[in-house]
Amino acid sequence: MVLDELAIIVVRGFGLGSIFALVAMSMNITYNASHIINFAQGNMFVLGGFLAFLIADILVGIPMWIIMIPVAGVVLAAIMTLQGWVTLLPLRHSVEQHSWLITTMAVSIMIGALMLIFQGPWVSTVNSPLPPFMVFGVRTPAPYAAISVLMFVWFFGLRWFLSKTLTGLAISALSQDLEAARAAGLKVKRLQLLSFTISGLVVGSAGFIAAPIISIASDTGIRYVLNGFIAAVVGGFGNNLGALIGGPLVGIVAMVATYEIGGQYQTFVSLLLLVGVLLLRPEGIFGRTAARRV
Amino acid sequence: MATQAIAAETGHRGARLNSDIPQLIIGVIVVAATTFIPDIAGNPYWTHSFQLVNLFICAAVFQNLLMHDAGQASFGQSAIFGMSAYMAAIATGMHGLNYGIGMVIGVLASVVGGLLFAGPALRVQGYYLGFVTLSAATVFPELLIALNKYTNGINGISIPFPTWHKEVFGLSMLSLVIVGVTCASLAFHVWLRSTGFGRAMRIAAASPEAAQSLGINTGLMRCLAFTIVSAGTGVAGLLYPPIVGFVSPSAFNLEISIVFFLAVIVGGRGQILGPIVGVWILYLLPNVLLVELVNFRLLAYGTLALVVMLLFSDGLIGSFERWRLRRNQSTQRVNIHLDGLLGPVRTVGARAPRTEVAIDVKKARKTFGSVIAVDDVDMQVMRAEIHGLVGANGSGKTSLLNVFNGFSRLNAGSVTINGADITRLSSNRIAKLGIGRTFQTPRIFNAMSLWENLEIGLDANTGKSVAPADVLAAMKASMGEQSVDLVPHGQRRMIEVMRAVLMGADVLFLDEPAAGLSPGEREEFKNLLRRLRDEMGKTIVLVEHDLQLVWDVADRITVLEAGKMVASGSPTEIAGNPSVRKLFIEPTHA
Amino acid sequence: MLDVKNIYSGYGNVPVLRDVSLSVKAGEILLIVGENGAGKSTLLRTIGGFIKPERGSINYAGSEIGGMAAEDISVLGLRLVLDGHRVFPELTVWDNLRLGGAVQKDKAAFDKAAEEVFTVFPILRERLKQPARDLSGGQQQMLALGQAFVAQPKVLLCDEPSLGLAQALLPPILNFLRGWAERGTAVVIVEQHIDIALPVADRAMVMERGHVKLTCAAKDLKDELRKASAVHA
Repeated sequence: MVLDELAIIVVRGFGLGSIFALVAMSMNITYNASHIINFAQGNMFVLGGFLAFLIADILVGIPMWIIMIPVAGVVLAAIMTLQGWVTLLPLRHSVEQHSWLITTMAVSIMIGALMLIFQGPWVSTVNSPLPPFMVFGVRTPAPYAAISVLMFVWFFGLRWFLSKTLTGLAISALSQDLEAARAAGLKVKRLQLLSFTISGLVVGSAGFIAAPIISIASDTGIRYVLNGFIAAVVGGFGNNLGALIGGPLVGIVAMVATYEIGGQYQTFVSLLLLVGVLLLRPEGIFGRTAARRV
Repeated sequence: MATQAIAAETGHRGARLNSDIPQLIIGVIVVAATTFIPDIAGNPYWTHSFQLVNLFICAAVFQNLLMHDAGQASFGQSAIFGMSAYMAAIATGMHGLNYGIGMVIGVLASVVGGLLFAGPALRVQGYYLGFVTLSAATVFPELLIALNKYTNGINGISIPFPTWHKEVFGLSMLSLVIVGVTCASLAFHVWLRSTGFGRAMRIAAASPEAAQSLGINTGLMRCLAFTIVSAGTGVAGLLYPPIVGFVSPSAFNLEISIVFFLAVIVGGRGQILGPIVGVWILYLLPNVLLVELVNFRLLAYGTLALVVMLLFSDGLIGSFERWRLRRNQSTQRVNIHLDGLLGPVRTVGARAPRTEVAIDVKKARKTFGSVIAVDDVDMQVMRAEIHGLVGANGSGKTSLLNVFNGFSRLNAGSVTINGADITRLSSNRIAKLGIGRTFQTPRIFNAMSLWENLEIGLDANTGKSVAPADVLAAMKASMGEQSVDLVPHGQRRMIEVMRAVLMGADVLFLDEPAAGLSPGEREEFKNLLRRLRDEMGKTIVLVEHDLQLVWDVADRITVLEAGKMVASGSPTEIAGNPSVRKLFIEPTHA
Repeated sequence: MLDVKNIYSGYGNVPVLRDVSLSVKAGEILLIVGENGAGKSTLLRTIGGFIKPERGSINYAGSEIGGMAAEDISVLGLRLVLDGHRVFPELTVWDNLRLGGAVQKDKAAFDKAAEEVFTVFPILRERLKQPARDLSGGQQQMLALGQAFVAQPKVLLCDEPSLGLAQALLPPILNFLRGWAERGTAVVIVEQHIDIALPVADRAMVMERGHVKLTCAAKDLKDELRKASAVHA
């Protein structure tokens, strides 16, 4: 492999991996607060990209684009808050604790279906407002860099929020000892709902920025939720630092696979990676088996 | 009355708990009618539609078996289904082999696929397995396209099936085969549940610990479940090419997996009619009503699944069943007693002097990280004695109990039970040596009838005689189809003890059996323990907080404190020990 | 302050409490003793809202709280300190205290209360920035009590503060509770080590197999127990 090819693989793989890391982080938030893993996270991410597609015509200039990033986050935050409410609803009174597996899957299907109805079975593309940059003389679309920046922004942002603010601390506390959290008077359901809202902010902004480099279609969400899940598992579920490392790792592996054996095997390679990690080290590379009280 | 295991019944007997047979009959009629009527009427559109619907029902039946009976969440059944369809199509359509040979290759391929799912399922469960199988369902059509040299890629394979469309008694061969296979799969599900193997599978899914304590290898059970389910799904897949005449990668995408999975949810997990109702609602209805609006089909799947989950979390048939059972609920309470079992075998009789060692613990040590849960414990339990194991919270009683029946392994030392060194054995192997266990929260399975809850003990019996066949038959008859819900709290523990007796265990480990018993039930329970010892010669190890009960009934008592054995001996011998006195709240006792 | 009447409660299908009543006044310490499995923890958990009582009433400061969620009860000022020194292991000592006082909206009152906690347990101040998992069991128990204290509840339920601790650590913890009660908080302590806990208590209650065996003044407990077991024998 020549050096410039390697550089391209690493840069693009890192960018792609940043997407996976962002999806993984957004899944970690809800997981930590409620032990729910949202199957719809991939379609939520694509929905963020779809938003960029919808307003592509009125979106002129970089300042406008920058303003729209938080707006996309807020829109998805609203959608995910609604989803969180629906998902948490049966858990209030039912003994069926795995209902979320089905409700989040159902919501995922509904989002995919709505996109199919609105845009048909085609893939939408969005042009990047930022100029491409050069890696060893090869033009590389700017979103690969922008999404990597966003990954770090969210990583440090979430770290600050979860360890410095009282609300963030409360969300962290839920995963550490739910009963003690309730005894301390923390409003569990409200905090869990909030975790969905924050998750929507992360995934919405990520989808919006990544829009030019992803395929926006009704059936692509599954790819992002799977790879996000794999990134989270590789890093250790619930651990954002793990996601920060696991995401780019999965992205680069996927990119190498694409170059070496062809893009059609990308998901297959990801699946092998997932099975490999689960068989060898289910707690993830950076996860440690937390001493959990029963 | 001696053979009666439950108290005489009066009044309303309540509804049948198990409605598998009526559901099967309805299911067979529905499947046969929907396939044959359009075929006889000569309507090719409806014939084709219902052939496909009933084929999907067949695959969903196995999804139901996998999800409810075996407790495995798989989103990858489309890949298993497609595997056999594609392999058979490749063998016949591309290599010109006879479809019979193609069918064999196809089913084998599906089973291999199923075992690939079982691998990760041994390590991880729940949503992890969900994501692995979900990936597999996504990868499968992609691989079919990528490997176009062998699969003809995106163009698919078309095969003519002239013989399958021949008419027999006015029906096409194909319709007959489809009805046969789908009805057989429904019947297979019902039959499997009534076997000991089927019960073992359900216990392994509902409570792995209980399963292991009954000698069931839960890992093997999962593998077998995946093998059976993929073979069945594979057989269903074989019929896809004859119905459609063509296979292509997109026919076996994730959407099909989701239809199978959600059909079971919407219809009702574990209900025999569930897959039928589910496939009708999720697949047939949108495809008929929204035939002009194909794009709305997916939206309908998602919305229906969500609405059903929020409104009827047991699925449609499941909710109906619950309503039926509640409406006909019997008001009577069932009283279980063990007289039926104890009566006839009273011959064991006379209490032998207790000199034979049943359990021998040498220098046992168990640590969890830096915590020493069991600290160099030496103790012996004699055959046919009741041995109390007491100590404060966290003193290591349950840790020791878990070592005895293999839930955790010693770091050092050894345990010999009935002369066999069990230190390194797995819990299911230990159970087979005749060692029974009950749990702090009784492992009672509400989805099974009272008798089935006991029968799983008999299933686990490795040939030890526990009671004459006529006694067991009478017990079964007296319990009929009673629901375990009718058994009062205190008596639920009796079910577990009885189960261990039926299993033929001669060493019983009881973990806090008296918790939640009323004073009257406590007295009965003490009698039961004594009779188990005196009349059946059982060796009983009792972990119990109710010290009064232990002191009343135990022959010898071992006291643990912070993982160490601090006293062991007869109740009177150790009563004066300061460590023992600390356990009692009264400053003066015994 | 707290008045519990005839409650029945349990876990799932296992009934534990049968017809249990108790009452505590502001400023009073009630010690609950009983053997393992007598239902002491179940009683505290039922009052604290972790278990829904099947029957009976739980009256706190004049209003019925039976069946309310644990977090809502805590906000009203009835605080349960769970057994086994439960703190948030990954958070620092200071963050643990902050979360403990999350229901306390008055910043000045919180600071004052935190300062008092540090005066009584200076080790917590020394280890302020360390994660709670690095504390010893005794220090974690101090932190757990500190978390409850900074919320300034009107009723404190304390489940086995000695569990897993060296006995020498118990007196300062119990003295802290004593001082707390003297300022008008109603305190209920479940404790196995009667000899150490009895001197700080005002009244004592003995539980046996899910019901109340006797209630008396703390100083009379030993005599009562002797009497009871004499009758037994």
